[in-house]
Amino acid sequence: MVEVQRRPVTPPEDWVEFVRTRDPALRDRLISEHLGLARRLAHRFAHRGQPYDDLAQVASIALIKAVDRFDPARNVAFSTFATGTIIGELKRHFRDRGWSVRAPRRIQELYLELGTASEALGHRLGRSPTVAELAKEVGCSEEDILEATEAGQGYRSASLDAPGAGNLTLADRLSSDDAGPALVEDRSVLKPALAALPERSRLIVKLRFEDGLTQSEIATRIGISQMHVSRLLAASLTQLRGAFGPEE
Amino acid sequence: MSDVVDLAIPVEADLLVLARLTAATVAARAEFALEELEDLRLVTEELCLSVIGDAASGVVHLRFIRDGGEVTIECSVEPDEFGEPPAPEVDELSTRIIEALVDEHGTATRGSRPCSWIRKRRGTGAG
Repeated sequence: MVEVQRRPVTPPEDWVEFVRTRDPALRDRLISEHLGLARRLAHRFAHRGQPYDDLAQVASIALIKAVDRFDPARNVAFSTFATGTIIGELKRHFRDRGWSVRAPRRIQELYLELGTASEALGHRLGRSPTVAELAKEVGCSEEDILEATEAGQGYRSASLDAPGAGNLTLADRLSSDDAGPALVEDRSVLKPALAALPERSRLIVKLRFEDGLTQSEIATRIGISQMHVSRLLAASLTQLRGAFGPEE
Repeated sequence: MSDVVDLAIPVEADLLVLARLTAATVAARAEFALEELEDLRLVTEELCLSVIGDAASGVVHLRFIRDGGEVTIECSVEPDEFGEPPAPEVDELSTRIIEALVDEHGTATRGSRPCSWIRKRRGTGAG
């Protein structure tokens, strides 16, 4: 039998074997041998405002991806490859959660705007944009970009009562043209309500408010008329408002 | 085109923001992509924490060197007069994180102090 070690080092031939056979039992063993790495990385990020259990789950799933994608023929240790994959997924997790920020409203909004601008510019350029390119695109200084991305990284612990929200209810903000940032900001609150929407409506809300597409662009993307998009959006927003009760 | 920026900050977690911001600023001047810049910011914090280790006081010395599209960051800790110089040991997890996010890293000596350094190049796809 295999002797249980405190810090197992997977022999290279196991990886070669796994790539060849994709044996589920071997896969399980490779995963369990590196779960400690995933947990330690999750722990390293745990002071940034997200529950450790969630981070551990994200890190574990990333580890599984790393095991499935690892190519032993490439001259890199699995632990290094897995660390990169896990950190990437943890960063994405924080980004998806809106990286709770304690920053001036202006910086929060800029950070949210950067998400859309960065993605759009990335598509145009075919690569991740630089700070200078983003500053030009958004029309602000490079310093603002650096400040916003620092704030957006969520290094500070989270605050659920986001500052600067003013007296507007979520419904107020959803009903305005400025609903995009508000929606993203309150994504953690909105998640269950969004999940209750029909799949197509959920996609439309995402394309409109997260990705910043116009109704016409969404119509083209999913193959329905702009008017139809408009109706579905309106119905979705009504449903979302309902989920938050009749606040005035 | 090159820059050399020296930064000295007290060993205090709240002041690590200065290290991150400086790293990001230098990376922006090296025309790093946003993704690379975020990685550098993250790894700078990791570098500082690993070098600070158990030191409860003292001064963190950082040198940021930009040479074209390459950024090198050196980090060492000067203990206060009663403190012991921290051992230049980087824990295993820090090493993994650093390895995953930079192109090169190592240890050296700056003056009489042990120093750890990292190097990342623009657009190499590291991390």
